[in-house]
Amino acid sequence: MTPPAGSLLSAEQLRKAYGPTLALDGAEFSIHPGEVVAVMGPSGSGKSTLLHCLAGIVPPDSGTITYNGRELSAMNDSQRSALRRSEFGFVFQFGQLVPELTCVENVALPLRLNGTSRSEAERAALTWMERLEVDDLKKKRPGEVSGGQGQRVAVARSLVTSPRVLFADEPTGALDSLNGERVMELLTDAARSTNAAVVLVTHEARVAAYSDREIVVRDGRSRDMERVV
Amino acid sequence: MSLPTRARPPAPTAGGAPRERGRPRRVAADLAMGVRFALTGGREGWTRAVLTAVGVGLGVALLLLTTAIPNALEVRHEREAARTDITFSDERLAKADDTLMVAGVDTDFRGESVRGRALEPEGPRAPLPPGVERFPAKGEMVVSPALKKLLESDSGALLRERLPDRVVGTIGEEGLIGSAELAFYRGAEGLAPHMDGGRVVRIDGYGNPNATSERSDPVLLLLILVVFVVLLMPVAVFIAAAVRFGGERRDRRLAALRLVGSDSGMTRRIAAGEALAGAALGLVFGAGFFMIGRQLAGTAEVYRISVFPSYLNPSPLLALLVAVAVPTAAVLVTLFALRGVVIEPLGVVRAGRPPRRRLWWRLLLPLAGLAMLYPMIGDGRDNGDFNQYLVTGGVVLLLVGVTALLPWIVEAVVARLGAGGVAWQLAVRRLQLSSGTAARMVNGIAVAVAGAIALQMLFAGVEDDYTQPTGQDVSLAQMEVILPDGVPVTRAADKLRDTEGVQEVYGYSEGYLGDRAREPEHGTTLTVGDCASLREIADLPSCADGDAFAVHGAEWDAGEDMTNLAAPGRKLYLDPSYEGSPKRLEVPWTVPQGVKAAKPRRGLLAGIDRGGFLITPKAMPETLVPALAGHAYLRLDESVPDVHDRVRNTAAAVDPLAAALTWAETKRTGRFDAIRTGLFVGAACVLALIGASLLVSQLEQLRERKKLLSALVAFGTRRRTLSMSVLWQTAIPIVLGLLLASAVGLTLGTVLLKMTNTPVRVDWTGVLSMTGIGAAVVLVVTLLSLPPLLRLMRPEGLRTE
Repeated sequence: MTPPAGSLLSAEQLRKAYGPTLALDGAEFSIHPGEVVAVMGPSGSGKSTLLHCLAGIVPPDSGTITYNGRELSAMNDSQRSALRRSEFGFVFQFGQLVPELTCVENVALPLRLNGTSRSEAERAALTWMERLEVDDLKKKRPGEVSGGQGQRVAVARSLVTSPRVLFADEPTGALDSLNGERVMELLTDAARSTNAAVVLVTHEARVAAYSDREIVVRDGRSRDMERVV
Repeated sequence: MSLPTRARPPAPTAGGAPRERGRPRRVAADLAMGVRFALTGGREGWTRAVLTAVGVGLGVALLLLTTAIPNALEVRHEREAARTDITFSDERLAKADDTLMVAGVDTDFRGESVRGRALEPEGPRAPLPPGVERFPAKGEMVVSPALKKLLESDSGALLRERLPDRVVGTIGEEGLIGSAELAFYRGAEGLAPHMDGGRVVRIDGYGNPNATSERSDPVLLLLILVVFVVLLMPVAVFIAAAVRFGGERRDRRLAALRLVGSDSGMTRRIAAGEALAGAALGLVFGAGFFMIGRQLAGTAEVYRISVFPSYLNPSPLLALLVAVAVPTAAVLVTLFALRGVVIEPLGVVRAGRPPRRRLWWRLLLPLAGLAMLYPMIGDGRDNGDFNQYLVTGGVVLLLVGVTALLPWIVEAVVARLGAGGVAWQLAVRRLQLSSGTAARMVNGIAVAVAGAIALQMLFAGVEDDYTQPTGQDVSLAQMEVILPDGVPVTRAADKLRDTEGVQEVYGYSEGYLGDRAREPEHGTTLTVGDCASLREIADLPSCADGDAFAVHGAEWDAGEDMTNLAAPGRKLYLDPSYEGSPKRLEVPWTVPQGVKAAKPRRGLLAGIDRGGFLITPKAMPETLVPALAGHAYLRLDESVPDVHDRVRNTAAAVDPLAAALTWAETKRTGRFDAIRTGLFVGAACVLALIGASLLVSQLEQLRERKKLLSALVAFGTRRRTLSMSVLWQTAIPIVLGLLLASAVGLTLGTVLLKMTNTPVRVDWTGVLSMTGIGAAVVLVVTLLSLPPLLRLMRPEGLRTE
């Protein structure tokens, strides 16, 4: 099967099992540049597994994933890691900021991993922190900032490499509604301004409302939903 | 119809807890809750409890083992004394129905000592050696279990040639000083004529009835004390680290308890309860490990010391002390650790920047230690009645000083460390945030290394005092065979010459000449050998078989007037008798007419020039033979495998009472060697233990960071980067720890040397090897933690289901 025309990242017939538990059972997915797609579904439905497969973090048991014309299953671990460093960005719900590093060092980390010098990486990091309104936290450590501020720092870190795809797994799950909405506004605005595609895993309709399209995952299968406006 | 009345809930009290519960009950309830938390909580909880118990248990087992060592040494000493077969009086026993002839026929096999005795009972009431049920007849022997195993194995074939007697029994435990001891008793006949009061004796009982305990050498006592302190300190540090396993998770659990209403006092008591449970479980584990270790100790031999399991009984008082001290220490350590942590209902608060560590009280500890040792400086070994309490206290304080100073040094240094690569940055930042954990991890190693360096210095410094030159020149000969009286040396020399690996044999028969048969006033030695052999020990003008020589001016005969003694025709007596001793052979010998003068020469014999009379075989009357003892000196090709054992086999074939000795330039006091061995055995155990502790705490830290590691890998962090950061994180504190350990070790070593009045000399090889071993332990631990690290970096860590 060929991926849908113009799609940046697509997946077909994905299957993934963790022991006896079938997490994905023939799931399909596609996303275009600049598009924001929300992956929804109840807990344990397989939406996070779909995100992990799409990002090349976890290899599927079967099925194909194509990114920009290249098949992920044909890449080895270090090639997939390089792809994640340079082309993808990530925001998770918990445990993503390195507690020992200051906020600006956390944001600069992906650039430094790519070989950018420390000063240049931190300059770029600061630009993104300003855009996400957390530049005043640059010297603070994650333990010294609030959950909403930390999540904005994480968004800045996910965007600092100018990724073509941004993966966000429950990015507002630990935030109150006000903070959650602000994070989502900043995240989607920043992504759209850089024409980055956003794969947004959430079970909150309010968060999904920031997307252009919704996909529902249930029992490991995915289904495109028409948005009723 | 009326509504049912509902019981009113009790009014809350100020403390939040019902007032009717007394304080002791409340404390007990909190402790019990802690115990419950420690032992419940599913797999995670059990893993934590088991890790703590294993850690504490290993430490407890080592402590129990250490407390059992004095008893083990005592039992070894008693058994050694009980089988003593030396006569302690100049009077020789007459043959009777309760006497036994004993000949010492010890030998060596591939560097291992084999204790051997030839026995000849002279009557039905002859005393049996301990552990032996009946006397072996000639051609039979009873052997220790270890020797039996060796003789039956292929590797013992060469020894079997030397000990061909039929094995008719084994020596019981009470007759041996260790499970791996090689020993035998063989039957013999005709020993009485060889009785010399030394190797061949007549006894009517075993053991020494007049045994007195030897006065301990103060320097050896000092060494023993320091060895004990140095070995036990890291164990204490290790136990302190073990009770803190799982600390971060416990703090979070306590925070959850705060949320549901427990106050800060309660949380501390609950934490104490958890520590108590871990320590108590550790005591049980420790007792189990000790019992296993006790059994294993019976099958192992370390540095040539073996024991029977029954020897290893810890003194009840010391065992009780361990049982009380370990849980108490566990609770105190936990409460101390909680000092810097504020447990709030919404989480654990560690101040973003914890208060700076203060240096002054940390410096007080080592300074107090030095102050305790200072009064003993210069006491020396003659009047060095070192105060045991001051020595122990001083060394303990100096070494505790390492554990107190290290966190401060790590904090001060890492705060100044600059930027570097990502791995470096991750490591340095982690250390800056929590340097205490890292310092705690290397504390044990640092203490062990500091103590070992000091001891190494002390050992190296006093080694010369316990090492005496033997005068043997190993470039001239490498072995010596001593033949019993009456065995012709020429026949023995021929057989030895035919042995594989023997290049040259110099044979001499020796005896002592007196100017009178009894109570001689003047005397000298008589040496018989062929011309080639005699030339090895003196400068001869010319030599042919039948010649006799008198050596003038030899150091050997200093003070003797050889001109007078060597007057041709003068009658001298070989093997003269002395008052108070049994009559000797008193064989008359006349100085030959043609006796030639020879000059002394420093040669084969005992490092000094040999004097007296030298005669060739033809110049020796046959009557002298029974009064002469044969010596053969052998030059060997030491590249021939087992050449020493081949020589021993030949010597045994020549005569079972022949003794074959391997030459060495120096010999050392047995107790000195035993203490040094003890240090190495203990240090090996302690370092292995600390290595295990490091690994466990490293793994625990990594598990705590599982989610973060997975997230870092998800956004493309190379595994190599994370592995390197773990390495840096361990390497930085260990380098600082080893530097501090070297400084403290050198200081302590210097003080100890000054206490014994020994010139201070730094044993750099020792310093480097000790720090190298410490660094190697850390490297091994880091390498062993890499596979779990790589496993934890798997993306599965991101899953929450």
